[in-house]
Amino acid sequence: MQETASDRSDAAAPDRRGTNAPVPPHTPDPPMPSRWRLFTIKALVLGAIWAVLTDFRADAWVFGLPAVLAGAGLVFLMPAAPAWRLSPQGALVFALWFSVQSVRGAVDVSRRAFSPRMPLRPGFRRYPIALPSGAPRVMFLNTITLLPGTLAAEQAGDAVMVHMLDTRADLDKDLGALERRIAALFALSLEAETSP
Amino acid sequence: MMLESLSMILIALGTVFFIAGTVGLLRFPDIYCRLHALTKADGLGLALIALGVALLADSMGEVFRIILIWFFVAVASATCGHLIARYERRSGEGPSYD
Repeated sequence: MQETASDRSDAAAPDRRGTNAPVPPHTPDPPMPSRWRLFTIKALVLGAIWAVLTDFRADAWVFGLPAVLAGAGLVFLMPAAPAWRLSPQGALVFALWFSVQSVRGAVDVSRRAFSPRMPLRPGFRRYPIALPSGAPRVMFLNTITLLPGTLAAEQAGDAVMVHMLDTRADLDKDLGALERRIAALFALSLEAETSP
Repeated sequence: MMLESLSMILIALGTVFFIAGTVGLLRFPDIYCRLHALTKADGLGLALIALGVALLADSMGEVFRIILIWFFVAVASATCGHLIARYERRSGEGPSYD
């Protein structure tokens, strides 16, 4: 098992598929990171997680090493995603804001569940996404679900169908605020996206 | 002693949110509303219980493992909620509220 895994990394160096011809999108996307760089970073992160999970036991690597290499190897099977970076300050602000919002979301839905009248006016709303595709958009879709009263039900092109517990709430305001915060988290500017 | 009572309060509060999620699952009228209850209320319930248990942990390794469990469950629950809702929409079986 381990031999095949090390085989792969030896045969690796000359192969560079990351430099594919750029498809011109509507916005200048950041350059694609090299697959082997991604593989190394992911292997290191997964290895660190495994080490802590097993209390740094050496014999646990019998299972850990193949699993880490297989997990990191998934970067070769997945479609290439644009590079992204986090702003440390943005991440801290976002984490705090997001904790408060997810508590509000849980309290809101619990209140509705326990209330004898059960105040619900459910429905779908379409929301056009301004964030670029890749990690920022995935982050956006996953966090919509934890905000009060909203659930990301389906992505349709550059829009998301949001299910709302109460369709009278101001969806554009709430999700606009979330988008701006995710843009700050990834050190992006949304204005460039929305203006053309 | 202080720490133990704080931990108990957090765990009890977390349980309340798990119960709320289950009540929502049983009472809410359709699949999408039920997903709201399960993703949001249970998510906070797990976070509170994880925090309560982490306060009683013996080592940093344990705390790290609890944080990892919370993180992966949180990400998985949002993603699963999305996948179930998407399946339901594409199958055309859920309510369309028209």
